[in-house]
Amino acid sequence: MPLPSSIAALTAALSKLPGIGPRSAERIALHLVQSESGAVSQLADAIVAARVKVHLCTTCGALTEISPCEICASPRRDASLVCVVERPVDILSVDKGGTFHGKFHVLGGKISPLDGVEPEDLRIAELEARLQAEPIQELIIALGTDVEGDATSYYLAKRLARAGLKITRIAHGLPAGTGLEFADELTLSRALEGRRELS
Amino acid sequence: MHLAHLRLRDFRNYARLDVDFAPGFHLLLGDNAQGKTNILEAVYLMATLRSFRGVGSAQMIRQGAKGYFVGGKVVGQGEAEIKMYWSVAERNLSLNGRTVKKLAEYLGTLRTVVFCTEDLQLIKGTGRVRRRFLDLLLSQTQPGYLGLLQRYAHTLRSRNALLKQRSLDEVALEGFSRELVAVGTEITRQRREIVPRISPLARLAYRRISNDAEELRIEYLPSVKKDFAVELAQSRARERSQRMTVVGPHRDELQLELNVRSAAQFGSEGQKRSVAIALKMAQAEYLTGLHGSAPLLLIDDVMGELDVKRRSGFLPLLEQVHRSRGQVFMTCTEENWPRELGLELHRWRVHAGALKA
Repeated sequence: MPLPSSIAALTAALSKLPGIGPRSAERIALHLVQSESGAVSQLADAIVAARVKVHLCTTCGALTEISPCEICASPRRDASLVCVVERPVDILSVDKGGTFHGKFHVLGGKISPLDGVEPEDLRIAELEARLQAEPIQELIIALGTDVEGDATSYYLAKRLARAGLKITRIAHGLPAGTGLEFADELTLSRALEGRRELS
Repeated sequence: MHLAHLRLRDFRNYARLDVDFAPGFHLLLGDNAQGKTNILEAVYLMATLRSFRGVGSAQMIRQGAKGYFVGGKVVGQGEAEIKMYWSVAERNLSLNGRTVKKLAEYLGTLRTVVFCTEDLQLIKGTGRVRRRFLDLLLSQTQPGYLGLLQRYAHTLRSRNALLKQRSLDEVALEGFSRELVAVGTEITRQRREIVPRISPLARLAYRRISNDAEELRIEYLPSVKKDFAVELAQSRARERSQRMTVVGPHRDELQLELNVRSAAQFGSEGQKRSVAIALKMAQAEYLTGLHGSAPLLLIDDVMGELDVKRRSGFLPLLEQVHRSRGQVFMTCTEENWPRELGLELHRWRVHAGALKA
């Protein structure tokens, strides 16, 4: 017997979610249609509510319910320091480190000719506007070290260069707390390139 | 290093095969189209994740089956268990029970050198074939080279995509150019270093197997002569009209000459064949020298094509493998197996997708 069409439709919708294959989608769909209807309504409401309330901060591009977001609005954050990241979730990663007290700017991607992503598709104009409006003294570029990350970092450094602004890139090299034997050659050679004098 | 066990499921014409191999010399005998070369192909696939016949994985699945499995136990300094499964929907490669995430960590588990009729393309084919020969040798011997190569290919494709756009963003192009130069310069350097190391080995090998007194010379002709950044900048006009990157290691050439004349243009068929074999022998000897143990030699039918004099030039290499407890797999038909090989032979009869000792 084929599954009722509403279950098939639900399965198809679920399988579009990241990390959920056709098998898991079917399992979740079957679970949902057999759950108590109150719990299912709650889930549906939560999904819709989250989608309606959450949007991108108009200033930095973070996920937020209020705009400007908490970080942008916070007087305790150092407004002279802005960390440029690729995706909204990267903010969480940097913030979790607990050592960065500046603000953020989300690019929304990387320049990637193979995926048709051009500089104009990124939130660079917004960043330029912020450089005009805010007392920013240093931009810290925190993009990955793949080809696109490197090329985009260079692009930003060139395009955003102006008097009185320091542009830096986060260091890359050995992960903290590991020995040399676990590092691959590319990481090691980059770590060597980025060596620092011990004072 | 030797392959102690081979397991095939739905691979080419083998529905199931489980076979143990001792170190030494294995002769795979049988009529045509019985599956001799398929054994070599499976071993080579485990070593390089490619077919030496230049076909994709889909073509290696047994007719009517969903996917193939190739597995083996490699005994070298330690033991390594390789399992690979490939189907259109699913593919998996594991080493000692753990899924392989980075190719660089896997390649080198099993080292092979194959001798087959396709080797003639090394002389007759385009520069791509010769670059691949160098790249395979470097990725088998230089840690990190494969990563460089993948990064270069990705950067090159990105950069070419930028050059094809209607309006060219100069600064974005510059970002990818820097990356191309950094990675490309390192690739050129490594290729430049390895060619003089294999060139004398190939010259000696050629002398051993050829009847004539011609000298084989291998020369590396890099696309970048001195400074990649400068030459890339100088190529801007050509780049713009052709809408692709026209200088860089992807345009390198490996020149093969017999007495200062191009082997491809002036060599006879027999000479070309000898050059191809000499290159492969050089590869095997280079790997042996570097690792202290011989790679597995996979010899597909080429011995049959050689006359006795050329065959005898091959013998020292085979004996060397034998002494170092390596392994040779060689396919032959009953009529033309080289009986002059005085080595201890394991003879296998290959018939309709089955192996019998």
